[in-house]
Amino acid sequence: MDNVQRMTQAYSQAPWRKQVQIIGIFLLALVTTAIVAGIYLNITARTTTMGREIQEMQILVYGYHSLFTTPQSGNMPVEELRQDIANLQAQLAYLTSYEVMDARARSLGFRPTEPDEMVYLEIEGYVAPQPVTLAPPPSPVVVSAAGVSDEFNEPLFSWLADQIEQTARLFGEVKP
Amino acid sequence: MKNEHTWRYTMLGVLFGLIGFMIIVQVFRLPYTPQAEAIVNEGKLYERTWHIYYPPRGQIYDRWGSLLAGNTLVYEVGVQVGALQNAETVAFALARVLSTHPEYNYADFYTDLLDVMEAAEESGRAYTQLADFVTPEELAQLKQWAESYDDLPAVPYGDTKQPSLVGLVYRPRLKRVYPEEALAANILGFVNRDGDGLFGVEQQFNNLLAGTPTGVWMTLDPYRVDEIPEMEEGSDLVLTIDREIQAAVEHVLDNALETSGAEGGTILVMDPNTGEILAMASWPRMDPNVYWDYAKFFPENQPYNRAVSTEYEPGSVFKVLTMAAALDSGAVTPDTVFTDTGMFQIGGIYIYNWNYGAWGPQDMGGCMQHSLNVCLAWVASQMGATNFYEYMQAFGIGHRTGIDLAAEAYGRLKLPGDSDWYEADLGTNSFGQGVAVTPVQMLAAISALANEGEMVMPHVVRSIVRDGYQYNPAPQVVGMPISAETARILSEMLADSLEEEASDALIEGYRVAGKTGTAEIPGPFGYESDLTNASFVGWGPVEDPQFLVYVWLEKPTSSPWGSVVAAPVFRQVVEQLVVLMDLPPDAVRAMMGSE
Repeated sequence: MDNVQRMTQAYSQAPWRKQVQIIGIFLLALVTTAIVAGIYLNITARTTTMGREIQEMQILVYGYHSLFTTPQSGNMPVEELRQDIANLQAQLAYLTSYEVMDARARSLGFRPTEPDEMVYLEIEGYVAPQPVTLAPPPSPVVVSAAGVSDEFNEPLFSWLADQIEQTARLFGEVKP
Repeated sequence: MKNEHTWRYTMLGVLFGLIGFMIIVQVFRLPYTPQAEAIVNEGKLYERTWHIYYPPRGQIYDRWGSLLAGNTLVYEVGVQVGALQNAETVAFALARVLSTHPEYNYADFYTDLLDVMEAAEESGRAYTQLADFVTPEELAQLKQWAESYDDLPAVPYGDTKQPSLVGLVYRPRLKRVYPEEALAANILGFVNRDGDGLFGVEQQFNNLLAGTPTGVWMTLDPYRVDEIPEMEEGSDLVLTIDREIQAAVEHVLDNALETSGAEGGTILVMDPNTGEILAMASWPRMDPNVYWDYAKFFPENQPYNRAVSTEYEPGSVFKVLTMAAALDSGAVTPDTVFTDTGMFQIGGIYIYNWNYGAWGPQDMGGCMQHSLNVCLAWVASQMGATNFYEYMQAFGIGHRTGIDLAAEAYGRLKLPGDSDWYEADLGTNSFGQGVAVTPVQMLAAISALANEGEMVMPHVVRSIVRDGYQYNPAPQVVGMPISAETARILSEMLADSLEEEASDALIEGYRVAGKTGTAEIPGPFGYESDLTNASFVGWGPVEDPQFLVYVWLEKPTSSPWGSVVAAPVFRQVVEQLVVLMDLPPDAVRAMMGSE
């Protein structure tokens, strides 16, 4: 009797149970989609922001500054930083130009040396100053075979065998 | 009950179905409508921006790394037409701030600015440039003006709109600058308003220095950021010039011009072993930072650098080459005696000495010491024309030296067979008349005497720095016109000559070899003028030459003679050189060598 009642109840409840199941599956799909979409949007937004930042770090994208803003060196694009560096080098060169240095030396009481005032000393191992080197000379890049790690040369099985052997040796050395 | 509502549900279902269907249809239809195409096209205008990238022009250094030519910030100023609020204020402010700017300090600048802005507005342009090469100081003033206008109260201004500089924008860029000002200006040349190198190193290496200004469409799509292209930057140059020596030599030249009354001149200092030019002073000389004054300093297209672009008759310094050729060919020996009767006939003309005197028996050293035209003409005749001119060509006379500076002149050496060559030319050419050279050509030719017979190519660029590497081109020996022995014999002969005549070129403690030159100046109808070009070429220390100096003064008025005006200048240069190059006196070097 009880079984009959239970089956009757289950039968009568079956339609809405089925609906709940369908709704549940639908909501699950919806939530999953929303999570995936959310992650996608988040990543996309971050990628976009980074891309824009990279662009702005490279060049002044829209080309011009307003008179009402002063660019800070912290957010200058690379192009303008290079201009700034070149400008600073020129300013430094002005401050150390021959005329300026000559005037400073004279104001400190120095004067040009006459040949007969020069005293020459022979110093063992003295190396005369060499003209400026602003960058290394071009030389071919030679990758020495000896410099490449064994892992990149030996076959996989050989490496595996070696690792096993090393591990075994390690355990073999363990003293009680 | 159930059947009663079925049709309603059905109708609702159909309705929503229809709406859904229409939405789907529209989704697929809308992208292909003309309106959509227009919107897409308009959108494309904003997906990228045109950007002109000006790579910094390569810098130029002296041999020790002092900056001779660099770059400084200037600004391009313009208006974004759409944002412009008051064109009159913008024009007024710019005209006032730029009133001392060399390019914009003219009366109609204000009205010109208004015209430019009006034209831009009418043509629908988004941006128009109003001024360029605005200095940082001028830009700072503009910013102050902008802030002042911004602080004005917002009251009605009637027909005249509220004063404002809104819409005025700027963009930084680089301009060539020469921190040493006029120092080495003739070597460097300058860069004009358009960014083109003119004269000197700037012109010769323009392509290398300038990099490649490139206009590119920069994408604004953040996902395509990797498409922004890498731009090629300008290369840096390290010159062979020594700033200290250059300054000293320019100072000596300027003093020499003042005391001698010469119109112009040049002094060259070269390392005869490598061909490296250590200094190249020339007058006239201007500050390349104010290149627009070029015409004031160089009227009527005068050469910018006399050392490489001026052709002239060298006079007696040329005798050094004649004697070198004669000794090397075996036509004479140092002991050959020539009896100077005061005249020598060749090709139907008579050759006379500088004082029209007869000097009697002279060995070759005596001929050089007294600078005897008659003797040298005889020497050339002993060699024969073919032999003589082969040697002169081997010395590079009449050819460019190949120096790495712009606008090098050729000079002129008439050769047998040329329509304007006569036998008499052999006689006059032997002592430097009827032949045209440049100072740097003489320097290169005479380097053979100071460098064991090997002639080196003079050059001013020591290194090129490109893509993070420094390239040092090797010095070039361009020929060996005479033997090492001949070079040594002639050096000794000339050093003895200077000592015997107690020349003003002698420097205490250092043995030098050299020769004076006094050249008459040819005009359209011959040598009519009393004016001369005075010169001196010398090198030392004779035992191991470290410097070769050529002095050339154009039309000195204090004295016409090279021995009087040019020889002391050589001495003054060498007195500075031995200090700046750390060259001990001969005695000290001999002592160090013997230890």
